[in-house]
Amino acid sequence: MFIANFMTVPARTVTPGTLLTAARELMTAGNFRHLPVVDEEGCLVGIITDRDLRSAFPAGVMDEEEKGEYLKRYVRTTVLAIMTEAVASLSVHATLDDALLLFDRTRVGALPVVDKGRKVVGILSIRDLLTAYRQLFGLGEKGSTLIGVADDGDPRLLTKLTAALEAGHIPFSRLIRTGELGGKAAMIYVRVHTHNLNGVHNTLAGAGLKTVAPGIERSHDHA
Amino acid sequence: MQTLHFITHPRYLRHDTGAGEHPEIPARLTVINREMGIHDGRFKLVTVEPRAATRYWLLKIHSENYLLRFEEAALAGRSWLSHPDNQLGYETYEIAQLAAGAGLAGIDLVESRKRPSVVFCSVRPPGHHAEESLPLGFCFINNVAVAARYWQERHQRRRIAIIDFDAHHGNGIQAAFEEDPDVFYISIHEHPTFSFPGTGYAEETGTGQGLGATLNIPLLPGEGDLEVQAAFRRQIEPVLANFQPEAMLIAAGFDGHRLDDMSGLAYSTELFGWLGAKLADFARDLCGGRVVSVLEGGYHLPSLGASVGQYCSGLLSVGKKEE
Repeated sequence: MFIANFMTVPARTVTPGTLLTAARELMTAGNFRHLPVVDEEGCLVGIITDRDLRSAFPAGVMDEEEKGEYLKRYVRTTVLAIMTEAVASLSVHATLDDALLLFDRTRVGALPVVDKGRKVVGILSIRDLLTAYRQLFGLGEKGSTLIGVADDGDPRLLTKLTAALEAGHIPFSRLIRTGELGGKAAMIYVRVHTHNLNGVHNTLAGAGLKTVAPGIERSHDHA
Repeated sequence: MQTLHFITHPRYLRHDTGAGEHPEIPARLTVINREMGIHDGRFKLVTVEPRAATRYWLLKIHSENYLLRFEEAALAGRSWLSHPDNQLGYETYEIAQLAAGAGLAGIDLVESRKRPSVVFCSVRPPGHHAEESLPLGFCFINNVAVAARYWQERHQRRRIAIIDFDAHHGNGIQAAFEEDPDVFYISIHEHPTFSFPGTGYAEETGTGQGLGATLNIPLLPGEGDLEVQAAFRRQIEPVLANFQPEAMLIAAGFDGHRLDDMSGLAYSTELFGWLGAKLADFARDLCGGRVVSVLEGGYHLPSLGASVGQYCSGLLSVGKKEE
């Protein structure tokens, strides 16, 4: 659940004095879109993105003379001129949930990860976060199914559910209790890793639990 | 009277999936056999025993290492391979070879006559989840995929269409042919979000040279006959007409039945009769009637027997409306 297991280490960084042309080459070569900017101690002072760099590049609508003048200035310009100084960052001890909330709040594509002294130790992108949750939730591995279980508010419902699954030797990964989200009936969703769904339904029915799929409610009169 | 060539083997009943709550049990084939007995009289039933598929053909789809691992696990008395879903017994490797052989026998029958025989292969273990080096979802050897390669190499039918109407996506068939433009895989199944094995999104359409030669049609839980018929009309029929197959293989799974709780789909028994007739029509119109159907899933015993009976009657009804 910690970003340390999923971030890119070490992050490529630039300094405020790095020329934009050099920063651009670095991004193109590494095929990434965010470069943390650090001081001589390696501490975070800002960030530049590929969008910042593209905006700084001479525009296609300029006439040749204008463009020439601009280019002369551009090749002498350093990161300091365009970097964003108010940069959000994650602590190296942050959880994936912390990262999700920060991404949601800041709407950026990647967050530098810093130690106590604000030294940059890595970078976590939205893609890294998706990969992390995909792995933790057991998604995308062949051989699993999402099962919905009606939540009747029984305070021992999760105990019943997990005990039944474990007693039935049914492997499972993610388990979510929705509560009454947006006025919809409360549900529990569990990802089971088996093809024996008949066994899953029978096991859950035996524990007094009702499985629900969108559009249908299962009856067990034929089981 | 029309003849159904019913390919099966008594040894299929000896594939042992344990005494627990496993749904893939010998009784599945027993109910189908009984149903065939009931139908005998409405059509002529010729039962054919297949030979085992040789290693040569299994290697068209599976890796040598995997076959060795599978055989060793069975002979060593292990009770499952890779996941407890994939229960096996001492004889399972040999029986799986016999199951893969059914499709090959069916193809030879179809190819041996001017007017192709109507063939249904009643086999277990099933095959469509098995990948090159991976058993999955009760499947070890990918029976239909092996048959497709056999049809191409032994009988020079290059363009093969595989239609899979099992309630679950046939990830193994898709993986075997997703880069191959000559084998078109079409699957209609319960949506991967709600169903095993979690593959078969509509966005999966093949890769590389095979881009465009895979068609996945996911249905939502609760959907049934109307949605299947609409999908055939709007998507499958035009795609097949455009592909112009030289032969067709059907991965015939019956677990989309509304009484089968291995899926949330709500197919009627009659739908399988409609599917049999529709697929036989396609085969007649597109590839000289060359079609072989191979059993995949179907676990609710009463509806499995009745559905297979309907399906085979449908297969035999081809051209009836013109007669």
